[in-house]
Amino acid sequence: MSKLLEINDLHVQFNLIGRRVQAVRGVSLDLNVGETLAIVGESGSGKSVTSKAIMGLIPNPPGEIAKGSISFEGKDLVQYSEKQMQKIRGKEISMIFQDPMTALNPTMKIGKQIMESLIKHQGMSKHDARERAIELLKLVGIPKPEKRVDEYPHQFSGGMRQRVVIAIALACNPKILIADEPTTALDVTIQAQILDLMRDLQKKTGTAIILITHDLGVVANIAQRVAVMYGGKIVETGTLDELFYHPKHPYTWGLLASMPKLHAKTDKLLAIPGTPPDLSDPPKGCPFAARCPHAMNVCTTHMPEYTELSATQKAACWLLDERAPKVAPPETIGVGGTNND
Amino acid sequence: MGRYVLKRLGYMCVTFYVVITLTFLSMKLLPGTPFQNPKLSPVQINQLKHYYGLDQPVAVQYVKYLWNLLHGDMGGSFQFGNESVSTLLMAKFPVSMDLGLEAIILGTIFGILLGIIAGLHRGKVLDWGTMVFSVLGISIPSFIFAGVLQYFLGVYVQLFPVAGWNGPSSHVLPVISLAVGVLAEVALFMRTEMVEVINQDYIVTAQAKGLSRAAIVYKHAIRNALIPVVTILGPLTAAIITGSLVIESIFGIPGIGSQYVSSITTNDYPMIMGTTELYAGLFILSIFVVDILYGIIDPRIRVSGGRA
Repeated sequence: MSKLLEINDLHVQFNLIGRRVQAVRGVSLDLNVGETLAIVGESGSGKSVTSKAIMGLIPNPPGEIAKGSISFEGKDLVQYSEKQMQKIRGKEISMIFQDPMTALNPTMKIGKQIMESLIKHQGMSKHDARERAIELLKLVGIPKPEKRVDEYPHQFSGGMRQRVVIAIALACNPKILIADEPTTALDVTIQAQILDLMRDLQKKTGTAIILITHDLGVVANIAQRVAVMYGGKIVETGTLDELFYHPKHPYTWGLLASMPKLHAKTDKLLAIPGTPPDLSDPPKGCPFAARCPHAMNVCTTHMPEYTELSATQKAACWLLDERAPKVAPPETIGVGGTNND
Repeated sequence: MGRYVLKRLGYMCVTFYVVITLTFLSMKLLPGTPFQNPKLSPVQINQLKHYYGLDQPVAVQYVKYLWNLLHGDMGGSFQFGNESVSTLLMAKFPVSMDLGLEAIILGTIFGILLGIIAGLHRGKVLDWGTMVFSVLGISIPSFIFAGVLQYFLGVYVQLFPVAGWNGPSSHVLPVISLAVGVLAEVALFMRTEMVEVINQDYIVTAQAKGLSRAAIVYKHAIRNALIPVVTILGPLTAAIITGSLVIESIFGIPGIGSQYVSSITTNDYPMIMGTTELYAGLFILSIFVVDILYGIIDPRIRVSGGRA
């Protein structure tokens, strides 16, 4: 498999008045052609900022990419000018957003919103672009596309709007689709439909997907590889099976344990106590140390290196050091209880 | 849509009727009589009152007035030798409308432009400049501007005529004085809307499509920012109408304004009624037009008005 996207030691910071928030602190990731990578983490872990950095959509000022490279097909996007990025966005890499209710322009017909990128990137005539827009609406499962193409967003339901957003993103057959919490704002039944649709479309188009989410159920549904982010860093990464069945980082354990289970013996929801670190004053050591039930002295002073656990799995945790005590993951991590397939 | 328009027309008629009634009653509360010439004897005044029907009870006068109005008769002016009010209004109205329209168009266009520019440069010098200008423009009354403009551009530099209403150059100062307030208000409003729209998710979607900044502003931001701005055009029209009374008298413009003021000071009842009706009618109509415009710009309104 060849690498489509390689992020190397990415640092993104926001220079606010009186403080500097280091939202992403040394993230390295790679994405293969046609695969689905999930980036998982709670709010403020830096997952959305990472995706915005790939799109070149970090508002500058106050944001800036302080260090690192984002290599797309061998070219470093960090060095690209705004003009050059405009040729990448929507054409090579596109993005779908969390809230379909606000992601579409309320005063522009659906069709026109899809046609825009076709006309811009593929130089299509209005007529051809319209035909293609109808095709795309059909592709994402919108009934009567010939009629709906001339309707406005408020005439669509939330799930239908998200389908439209996906149609816009896929208009130019991008090589990478970044989906930032694509199902969070939707009803549960609609969530499943949208995930099915994304899986289907990936089969048809071969687009690689970066899925940003905090919902491990969604991850289990469509991802092949998972990266767990915390405090602006990737704390563990591996294949879906590795992360779900052999997680090594206590934060991953916590995430898995906090998933509600259908057959749980207690009626209590498990949560990870504490809050994520303040990234305007990031901890010197492991960002999770303050909340980690297994934290040692070294955790608060030194950031652990990655330990390669297999060709595909690695984690940054001092527990994996040979000098550390052996700690078993809590039994509450019951993958069997989730409704993954 | 048809039903919606009909309903709105109905409301307009009710509003218009209420305005007529209130004006008629409050006008009757004004002290004094229309016949103030000291040469007139009490007997002559009584004769005149009888002739014009002013000796009858207010209720009777009111019903008579409404009846005549329904037949298109606004009565005759007391101060202009019983000449028909509608003729007098129509003679002077074009000048006032000219002034008002020019001011509204100038103020709205430049206000929108200024607001867009300020909104796009939020927090920068351009933005601050626009805001300071806008606050000044809103808070300083138009007659002060008129005076300042007359002095500097009229008397000092002698670029434009100080007063009068003949030829394009004489329009410059009064139109600017009247437009400044509109411009300031529209600019401030447009800026706020622009800042808000620029932060909307669909703008990020447009960016993610790879559109250029210009295309995003032109195709996605402006139209959405314009929608709320259209709503203030109605009240602004009212401001222009009242503002023009003052401006007309400062610049000696032969419009309806000076005639209106003199009709109030001389208790020229039919003239007061006629002018008020004209202004009220214009105002009600402008709000109606704004509502229809709103529906055209915002598809969400269009549908709820059309299919509901």
